[in-house]
Order: sequence, then C-alpha cells, then structure tokens
Amino acid sequence: MTFQKDPDQNETKHLLQFAGFPGRRVLEIGCGEGRLTWRYAGKPAMTVGIDPDRDALRVATIDRPSDLEERVHFSNARAEWLPFPKETFDLAVLAWSF
Amino acid sequence: MVHALDEIRRVLIKDGSLIDLRPLGDKWRVEVFSGRETRQTGNMTDLPAGVEDDNAANQAMREGERNSWFLRESEKLFSIHYIWDTASEMEEWIDSEWEGFVGLGEETRRATRSAWALGDADSRVRVEVKVLITRWKKL
Repeated sequence: MTFQKDPDQNETKHLLQFAGFPGRRVLEIGCGEGRLTWRYAGKPAMTVGIDPDRDALRVATIDRPSDLEERVHFSNARAEWLPFPKETFDLAVLAWSF
Repeated sequence: MVHALDEIRRVLIKDGSLIDLRPLGDKWRVEVFSGRETRQTGNMTDLPAGVEDDNAANQAMREGERNSWFLRESEKLFSIHYIWDTASEMEEWIDSEWEGFVGLGEETRRATRSAWALGDADSRVRVEVKVLITRWKKL
C-alpha cells in the first residue's frame, strides 16, 4: 500500500511554530514509535518520550539516531503517573495518535 | 484525563508550556485528485467514540483552566492530508486504523471508487484531517 501522511509537513510546521523547542527540556506524552519525536528532537536540550506501549518504545529506541542517544530517552509510562520529580521539564507535548 | 493534566502540571516548571496536538472530528473531506483536477466525493462520518474522545479532551482542558492550572495562550486549527494511491487502499486504511472513530458512508465509498476509476491516470485519493494545536502556559 502506498500511503502518505501530511506530505506538506503542516503538522511539523505548526508544532515548531507553537512549541519553541531550542534548548528546552521536553516531555512528549504518547510518543509511540517516535513518529513526531524525530521531527523536532534535534532542537531541545533533552527529550523524554513516554508511552504505555513497550513494543512501540522498542521501535523508537532502535530508530534513534546515534547523535541523539545522549539527548533523547524513552520511558514506559502513562500520563496519569509520570515517573519524574516535580518541575523537571520546560515543555510538554501531548500528541494524540491518529 | 484530568488527573493526567495535573501530573503534567506537576512535572512542568512554572511558566512552562503544554502543547496539545490532536485531530478534531469535523466530517473530514474526501477527495479524488490529479495534476489536472480535484473532486470532492463526500465527507467522513464522525462516530460516537471519536466524538466522545473530543468531548472528554475538551472537558479536561476546560477543567484545567477552571482550576487555574493552565492558561490558554494560542490556538490554531489546521489541516493535514492523508493520501492513498487507490480508493480501495483508502477504504482498507480507514476501516482498520480509524475504526470506531470516523467512518466512510456507502455513498462516499461509491462516489470515491467511481471518481478514482474514471479519473486521470495519476488520480489519487485523500482525506483532509483537521488538527487542533493549542499552547497552554502553566500557572
């Protein structure tokens, strides 16, 4: 099946415009396989993606570029219980899957 | 959802930002298009589970505002396209990936199949998905 999602990259453009990623510590909730993560992950100082789906996180970890290994991390967690101390992040991205 | 918002608030610094990025069911437009022309063949149907999800998210964010957890700073509705080479590929995707949230009525299915079959050699099929992005500031 040949399928394209958002070939004009409108989602990325709006996300970059709204979020202001450079230099920030980012928490992405519902990162899945990292589809959205890789669109901005080069910009923040640090990114943590969480998702309840371990298989999806395994894919995200395998896909992680080697130059981002120190700055992008994944954790098996749910938004209802975040395994981080208070005031750890500058920015949270709540990305609903679709 | 409200509990999740409270958790997000806890791990954000003061004046930190929350970006809420989500699809918004709104009878998404279905089109057959080629280099020469674009033809709308119908609209998706918003199904109960999708409507409930949208309402639950809206309600949770309103509660976050009421509790003075977050302040809405800016918001925008924009579109993205999902594109398939054929009408049957689009149907297969929608029936499996979006099952229960949005659907494709019989009339739109027939019109899309027909427009694609009779269309130009480079005809493809697309759905225009509405996406809402909001930036919230932690108070």
